[in-house]
Amino acid sequence: MISLGAPGIDTERIVADIQATVERKMKDGLYADVRVAAAERTHLAVLQKEESFAEYYLQCLREAALVDINDFEIRERRSFGAALLVRLKRTIWALLRFYTYRLWSQQNQVNSLLVTGLESQDARQAARLLVLEARVAELESRLGGPPVRGVPS
Amino acid sequence: MSGAGRHLAFLCPRYAGAAGAGGAETLIKSLAQRSVKAGYRVTFLTTCAVDHFSWKNVLPPGSRIEDGLEVRFFPVDEGRDEAAFHAAQDRLCRRASIPPDVEVQWFRHGVHSSALLTHLREEGGQYDRILAGPYLFGLVIAAAQQSPDRTWLIPCLHDEPFTRLSVIREMMTRVRGCLFNSEPEQRLAGRIFGFDPRRGVVVGMGLEPFEVDPAAFAARHKLHSPYVMYAGRREPAKSTPLLVDYLDAFRKRTGQDVRFVCCGSGPFEQRSFVKDLGFVTEREKHEAMAGATAFIHPSRFESLGIVLLESFLAGTPGLVSSQSEVLRWQCARSGAGLWWRGYPDFEEELMCLLSDRDLRDRMGRQGRDFVRSEYAWEAVDRRLFEALDRG
Repeated sequence: MISLGAPGIDTERIVADIQATVERKMKDGLYADVRVAAAERTHLAVLQKEESFAEYYLQCLREAALVDINDFEIRERRSFGAALLVRLKRTIWALLRFYTYRLWSQQNQVNSLLVTGLESQDARQAARLLVLEARVAELESRLGGPPVRGVPS
Repeated sequence: MSGAGRHLAFLCPRYAGAAGAGGAETLIKSLAQRSVKAGYRVTFLTTCAVDHFSWKNVLPPGSRIEDGLEVRFFPVDEGRDEAAFHAAQDRLCRRASIPPDVEVQWFRHGVHSSALLTHLREEGGQYDRILAGPYLFGLVIAAAQQSPDRTWLIPCLHDEPFTRLSVIREMMTRVRGCLFNSEPEQRLAGRIFGFDPRRGVVVGMGLEPFEVDPAAFAARHKLHSPYVMYAGRREPAKSTPLLVDYLDAFRKRTGQDVRFVCCGSGPFEQRSFVKDLGFVTEREKHEAMAGATAFIHPSRFESLGIVLLESFLAGTPGLVSSQSEVLRWQCARSGAGLWWRGYPDFEEELMCLLSDRDLRDRMGRQGRDFVRSEYAWEAVDRRLFEALDRG
């Protein structure tokens, strides 16, 4: 028979402590970061069983919803002809931006509206749940406590 | 504990020879070799295929001695419709319910060997027990259907769509018993098939201890930054793309120059911080493991986690996905690994391991002691032969 639980370091406790720290930091918005959203892109589908999935999913979605169409620093690693290459790249980027700006700004608008819609749905569901839970608690207190499992009421 | 006079057949669709194979194939071959040592007469039944995608007959058919085992190679049936098999497999993975025609297609176009089944039908009476696995291949299912009362299945079970197939449920119900790799795997069989735990034994696989220089790998490859490691198949099913994404985000967010060393087969997204070794010798792999800050195993589908246990033997702590009940179980009971739910946990835990050398060393020592006691061959032999002697 395989024995369970090694003496010494309690990794269950370490993980529980780390999870508590993570939850605190998440509330403080320390993981509201587009880089976290990008890292989770292949993971979100498997997180659905987690209780906090919807909240975390929405947070990631919010961070990832907007396509970045701002200018950025254009560099060239090769030293030979660097200045010319940078100028060429800047011209290409300016043309791309000019011709795709309408498309991406519309896409951003759609994405933002979708996220807002999802967030409002989530908030409404949460509010309804709260009301229902309060009603159940009130009914239970009137009946003298929650029903005992397995005993038909 | 003696197998004198008893004849065992081990059946696995691929033989873990020089070309290598997966963890399940290595496990089944190892158990066969241990049975020979214990005095059982052993015949290993397999196919001529090497690659589990095409199942092309590559090795010559016939009987020969390989690694101290009598191995009989049988040709895989020709005319298998590979495209139909993959189409059925795709449908199976995407749908909640499985239409009967999809299951028929999946089974019909999977790997089969009429020659091997004929051998079992005509000469199989000589085998007291047939130990067959892993569970998800047509050949294993067909062999188990022929003589279920003499078959011990080594399922190497994962929580994946194939488990919902009726042929697999039937096989799990009818075979003599199952040899599981871990307790979570046995519990999974209980949850999915209602498998009676009295018909199963947790056996696992033994690992030979090794001693290597933890600084050798970094010195040879001129690695001056700390690194984490993964070894094994690189594919979405093993969540390796997720691991690269996590490490990329970790480096950007924390500013820590952590490198990623990986070895094994399969395509890999190249990034500046990745050192892809491809196939390496066991010694090179163990040295790389010993020098790593952590061995990271992102897979959700494991029945034992051999490479994680090897990294414990190398004195390196593990960092695994909590989605894998098996890997989390190994980390918790050894006290040698941490598990993450998502990126935020991963970041905190990796930071913790990078910054706390003492914790890392203590976890490493615990992991080594754990594998040396739980996965010593003597312990595995005892569990295996007690099961075979009992039934």
